[in-house]
Amino acid sequence: MKRKSSSLLAFGLLAALFALVFAASALAADFPSRPFEFIAPGGAGGGWDTTIRMTAKVLGETGIIGQPMPVFNKPGGGGGVGLAYMQKKKGDPYSVIVYSPPLILINLTGQTNLSFKDVTPLAMLINDFGAFAVPKDSPYRTIEDVMEALKKDPKSVKTGGNSAFGSMDHIQFLVAAKAAGVKDIKNIPYISFQEGPMAALMGGHIDLLSTGMAETVGPLEAGEIRVLALTSSTRVDADVLREVPTLKESGIDATFINWRGLFGAPGMPEQEKAYMVEALKKMTETPEWNDVCAKNGWVKAFMPADEFAAFLEETNGTYKELLTEIGLFKAQ
Amino acid sequence: MELIQNLFLGFSIALTPLNILWMVGGAVLGTVLGMLPGLGPTTGIALLLPLTFTMRPETALITMCAVYYGAMFGGSRSSILLNVPGDGAAVASCFDGYPMAQQGRAEAALAISAIASFIGGLIATVAFVVVAIPVARFALRFGPPEYFMLMVFALSATAAISKEALFKGFISLLLGLMISTVGIDYQTGVLRFTFGMMELQTGIDFVVVIIGIYGLGEVFKNLENIASGGGLQPIQKKFSRIWISMDDWRRSIVPILRQTPVGFLVGVLPGAGATIAALMAYNNEKQLSKEPERFGKGAIEGLAAPEAANNACSVGALIPMMTLGVPGSGTTAVMLGALMILGLQPGPLLFQQHADVAWAVIASMFLGNVVCAIVNIPLAGLLVRVLAVPPRVLYPLIVALAFVGVYTINFSVVEFVLLVIFGLVGYAMKKYKVPTAPLILAVVVGSAMEQNFRMALMLSDGRFSVFFRNGICWVLFALAIFSIAWPFLSSWLKARKAAI
Repeated sequence: MKRKSSSLLAFGLLAALFALVFAASALAADFPSRPFEFIAPGGAGGGWDTTIRMTAKVLGETGIIGQPMPVFNKPGGGGGVGLAYMQKKKGDPYSVIVYSPPLILINLTGQTNLSFKDVTPLAMLINDFGAFAVPKDSPYRTIEDVMEALKKDPKSVKTGGNSAFGSMDHIQFLVAAKAAGVKDIKNIPYISFQEGPMAALMGGHIDLLSTGMAETVGPLEAGEIRVLALTSSTRVDADVLREVPTLKESGIDATFINWRGLFGAPGMPEQEKAYMVEALKKMTETPEWNDVCAKNGWVKAFMPADEFAAFLEETNGTYKELLTEIGLFKAQ
Repeated sequence: MELIQNLFLGFSIALTPLNILWMVGGAVLGTVLGMLPGLGPTTGIALLLPLTFTMRPETALITMCAVYYGAMFGGSRSSILLNVPGDGAAVASCFDGYPMAQQGRAEAALAISAIASFIGGLIATVAFVVVAIPVARFALRFGPPEYFMLMVFALSATAAISKEALFKGFISLLLGLMISTVGIDYQTGVLRFTFGMMELQTGIDFVVVIIGIYGLGEVFKNLENIASGGGLQPIQKKFSRIWISMDDWRRSIVPILRQTPVGFLVGVLPGAGATIAALMAYNNEKQLSKEPERFGKGAIEGLAAPEAANNACSVGALIPMMTLGVPGSGTTAVMLGALMILGLQPGPLLFQQHADVAWAVIASMFLGNVVCAIVNIPLAGLLVRVLAVPPRVLYPLIVALAFVGVYTINFSVVEFVLLVIFGLVGYAMKKYKVPTAPLILAVVVGSAMEQNFRMALMLSDGRFSVFFRNGICWVLFALAIFSIAWPFLSSWLKARKAAI
């Protein structure tokens, strides 16, 4: 009697195992078979939130992905909370998160010990570029003027931005300053305004504002400020910004890309990863996506997984060098 | 003349059925979101974003503005009835609003809050029409040193608020300043007092502190009473009309008219905010009052002043965004983003290139304030019945509301722990009669004050003279000194008068 039941148990276990294996292979074949979890590591209405919501919207409306893609916000730690959350989703192909350069920066400055290596890069979707603006009555006519002044005395130009010291707005200016040959980039004053950096520039409280190009359009159109340079590699084809030279045109061999892209959980299975990359590629080729990009002032920049991973590796090296120079790099 | 023509144009656009429908919808949504602790105008507008993409620009802007000031109307409901402020701007409404409700005067409190909000909003809108552009220009002159002085002035308010318990008030203030230092330091990128917790890196949200200290603290205090068998009787059983008496009106009207400009001006400054406006208004009235001892014990003018100021502030905050394209607060930043997606670039050119949109929005603000007042008075008649619930049932509900409220801030459970800690702190402070207002003010102001202090010194290469670089600084400094000295001066004068 006893023997019989144990063999029955063994059979049952075997059957269960088969069922599991079968289920797993079925999953790979008809992925996606259940709703996704799209994650914005910041608050509602911010850049990350908008990017992933628009992506979900276009993927759904064009029928590229048939499953629902609700967006959840996991703000905190400059994106670190979202990164920690993804670690709990190891191997799950249904969790997708959006990031931009802070993904790299928060690791290098020691805000989190997790890095871009702890998520699976799927694709870069869009680019935004930095802009360097001065008040309308500023003595600086070109970005070279600013760099010349900094070379003579790194304290002579008070720079400012929205993000914290050592974060994006600061780093994009340092990239330019270093390439221009400014020696003591550590000594360039950078002031972080959490509220109203543009008001601080227009009021003449700082000499130069390092910010995103979209923020400068309104005041530039109205003649309140002048934009000396953009960090893109070629001129941006939009309204007033068309007139603004790139850093390269101004003789400074530097670019700074504020990329935004999507990432899967760590250890995402290859097959599902390939599916997502393909789906995102398809999406970026639709007129709906063109429309979204045009409305938001985003520059389309699709880059698939492997290329994207290599790009992240390279950028990581550049940022690390800069942060070491200003004394903010913390080895993990 | 041109002004009146423009306004006519604005009204003709704002009064189309679709725009009116959205305005009412936005005002109701804003009021409801404002009432719920933790949710506020920023969340409301962010939720509405996807909807606005399908609207015409003026409709989108009208709807978003309606949510914004609707939230200012709604924010104080829970302050008055439950001692749980809906957001920072409604903290000052607890000071006298809650005592009023406890004394059975909830109807008057809710009524004056709606009336004061209405008058404040309306006057501020008139001011918007007349002085928007010069005022926005003036606001640009505020740099870090000026903001620092403004914060010093705001903090000096605590001297008046806690005159009765100066030493305890000082402890409360220091505690608040300590809380405000948690999180990343923006000027150096260094993490402070985060204890390795990522959730603390962006600092402790002051809404958690407020809901903990006021809401949970109040519940804990009442638990004592319930534990000893009390809490069966509701605070109030019979309710009268939501209105005020002639005497209430006489007491309130001057404070409303006096503090509206304060709220408006603070609103225009991109680095201040509605919380500061409301607390300043409360403090001003307490100092100007002939009977300051009535404040904090259910003085209706102590509720009217901050209510008028925070609504005026929300109108003022739209000025830098609409006239200069510079967002001054989280809410207006989200609005600016939405407008850019709609192909509209706010800024000095908005009034030239899209005069119809700009004036339609201004016209809608007049109408919206009327709508909010109409929506809020009957709504208050319903809400006031919460006081008919016996505390034994009501307090667990407040606890639930508090937890839901803080969860919506970051969707993380770390806030729960913080909430309970601040609840216990609030309880201890109430028990030992330590004033809580200085702590709240310090939490709200502390971080900005510290950052602006250091920003100013970075701009001046370390020279302290920067804090007195112009008239604005001197005026704010003088006001701060006066604000600290006045309570003592006035009691000294009174004593002298009595002696003679």
